[in-house]
Amino acid sequence: MQEKRQLGVIGSSVFAPRDHHSVSLEEAMFTVTKAALCDAGISIDDIDGIVVASCDQMDGRAISIMAASGSVGGVGRDILSTPSSGEHAFVLASLRVKSGIYQTHLVVSWSPLETDSVNEVQRLSNDPYFHRALPLDDLASHALQANVLESRIPGLHAAAVEVTRTNREHGHMAYPDQSAHPSESVWIDGGKMLRYPISEGMVSKPAFAAVAIVIASEAWIKAHQPSHVAWVHGMGWATETAFLGDRDLSQLPSLVAAGEQAFAQAECKVSDIDLAEVADATPYQQLLSLEALGFCPRAHWVQATQAGEFGKQGRLPVNLSGGALSFNPVFCSGLMRIMEAANQVRGKAGVHQQVKVKKALAHGSSGFAMQYNTVVIFGDKVQGLLA
Amino acid sequence: MNIPRVGIIGIGQSHFKARRQDKNYPELVREAVTLAMNDCKLSFDDIEAVVYSLAPDALLGIGNAERLGVDAVGARNKRFMRINTGGSTGISSVAAAHSHIASGVCDVVLAAGADKVGECGDSQTILNKIWDPIYERPLPLGTITMLAMSAVRYAYKYGMTEEDMARIVVKSRNAAVLNPYAHLRTPTTIDDVMKSRMISWPIKLFDCCPQSTGGCAMVLASEDYIRKNKLEAVWITGVGHSTESYYIGDRMGIGYAADHADAHALSEAVQRAYKMAGITDPIKQIDVAEMYSPFSNTEFHAIEAAGLAKLGESPALLKEGYFTHDGPRPVNPSGGVLCANAIAVTAMVRVAEAALQVWGRADAHQVKNAKRAVASGNGGDHQFFGAVVVES
Repeated sequence: MQEKRQLGVIGSSVFAPRDHHSVSLEEAMFTVTKAALCDAGISIDDIDGIVVASCDQMDGRAISIMAASGSVGGVGRDILSTPSSGEHAFVLASLRVKSGIYQTHLVVSWSPLETDSVNEVQRLSNDPYFHRALPLDDLASHALQANVLESRIPGLHAAAVEVTRTNREHGHMAYPDQSAHPSESVWIDGGKMLRYPISEGMVSKPAFAAVAIVIASEAWIKAHQPSHVAWVHGMGWATETAFLGDRDLSQLPSLVAAGEQAFAQAECKVSDIDLAEVADATPYQQLLSLEALGFCPRAHWVQATQAGEFGKQGRLPVNLSGGALSFNPVFCSGLMRIMEAANQVRGKAGVHQQVKVKKALAHGSSGFAMQYNTVVIFGDKVQGLLA
Repeated sequence: MNIPRVGIIGIGQSHFKARRQDKNYPELVREAVTLAMNDCKLSFDDIEAVVYSLAPDALLGIGNAERLGVDAVGARNKRFMRINTGGSTGISSVAAAHSHIASGVCDVVLAAGADKVGECGDSQTILNKIWDPIYERPLPLGTITMLAMSAVRYAYKYGMTEEDMARIVVKSRNAAVLNPYAHLRTPTTIDDVMKSRMISWPIKLFDCCPQSTGGCAMVLASEDYIRKNKLEAVWITGVGHSTESYYIGDRMGIGYAADHADAHALSEAVQRAYKMAGITDPIKQIDVAEMYSPFSNTEFHAIEAAGLAKLGESPALLKEGYFTHDGPRPVNPSGGVLCANAIAVTAMVRVAEAALQVWGRADAHQVKNAKRAVASGNGGDHQFFGAVVVES
């Protein structure tokens, strides 16, 4: 299949007030949109289309995209919405710009905390006959994956603690106001057991945030010359089946498929990637992701984490933003990973900017036991027509 | 703007009914998918991506219910995403599938979904929850009361009568008699409509769409793939969406942002699709329209938004038989949303029916010599609008 058009990220913003009760959802959407447009150096009049991702159950509204109409500048504009994940919104917006019908797009997603219990909201996603009677929420599904991995890989628990510690150190530098979780191993490994083998110290609490990204076509970028661009070189996305009993939870074939799609489009190898932002709802998910993406087979997980391979000075810096282990706006965590990887390539990552990032990979995951997986590869130069 | 052509190569839809106790939700999706796959004679190995069409989760009582449909649509380890723009979800899903192909990323994409609105209890109780919890939800707003206010305003501006509304119902039901997939297939009369129970003045029971259960699926493919594999297809030549305000209060009173009588954002969506398709005179260039109109009064402003009548003129033209199946500007020869509304896929059915018409495959409700059709979808609180132009 011939790729015909290139596109790039030209602006982004995350809005995460410490006191989320001080702003309404619509104010948050407006604020993050305005900041992303400002970062791109354009106004809403320059936006051709919008793709929004929101979750009805988290928002407490049926058709939760509706609230976005005015607050993200959607009136009179072409809006689509995907509730399957924030990262799908980025993919769909990119496809629309690639189609040539649109020159620019705004992507917005948010993760409110108005619901009494995020866990109960997640449980509603279980089928009503077989799984809903189980105490199955996202964390429990991640714990099931962790269990099967720990049973097969000696020393994995210590590696998981080390992954958490590394990400937390990154998070303390990147977002000191938001990342308030411990980075000492003793605290990470201790505390209340939430879902065995995952303790309180190994996850971060759900947080409120809104994320916005502005993308534009190659033609638009050439005409308007925005100052910082991360070119989208490759995208891949794929899904597992829903029923956990039908899956080998120690494997992620959908992420393997998504990675293959993205690397094929980007025409690059794993070794070309300078930096990665990957899904890390718990440290076990980060390790599983790194394997499925081809960065580190499970046989080397323990050794690689102890050697600091995924730290800022390591072989492959991973989650320099701190990842979801440091700050976890549940529904838009995946879109944050995409934003962070893009900003590293744009040279706009802030205090956690890594030097000379020519290619960065973002991975977002959503659903029970990482059902949906999305991979985006960014580069600092336009790729041109692909063969 | 050089946009690659995207073709429709397979269509499947349920026989819509109030309830389908013989099939659970994923099985209902699978039913439509199987029909579409058989229609295009491809295998699941040929499908590169799936766009899943599902409106509010609350209608099914399962959060992110699309996850349960992954196997039903054959998407395991494939590209998959869900679309939800309320009632317009189906046409938005087709637009998203179109983007998958027009972008050059995929050659063959399946768009599919299903809904069990007839089994959800009371959809209006759920649909009240679409409004913001502070200002408008405490009002007795549902999609019926919302569009009853639009009817009152339209009647005030353009002189529409309740009999005009009833005439739409009679036209739709007469059409649905010929469409085996429609849910309500019994003919009715103006008198019967006028005597039916008042729901929210001036909308009476027969002016309302049914709560339907069923699924729809469509297979889209790139022109290269279609030519290479010598497949039969009709073509999507125009796609457009537009949006109104969230707050109903912004559409009425002094200083309103948009007039609740009209469907200005639908008009914008249609115009975007027409522009892409090169349509400048829809009365001459559009042979048939499948317009999303869940209540009789909304068909008038949908017809006008499609450019098939001037603002406020459609009730008079209807009386003269302009929009019937065999009239000069046929609208909703399938019976439309008034005769079947499984919300998640209703707007996809509009595209499917438009495609069947220009394909010459609409059987008993075929419009003669239909070569170019427009389809539309409405979602949210009469807020999200999509339009698609299909050509043979």
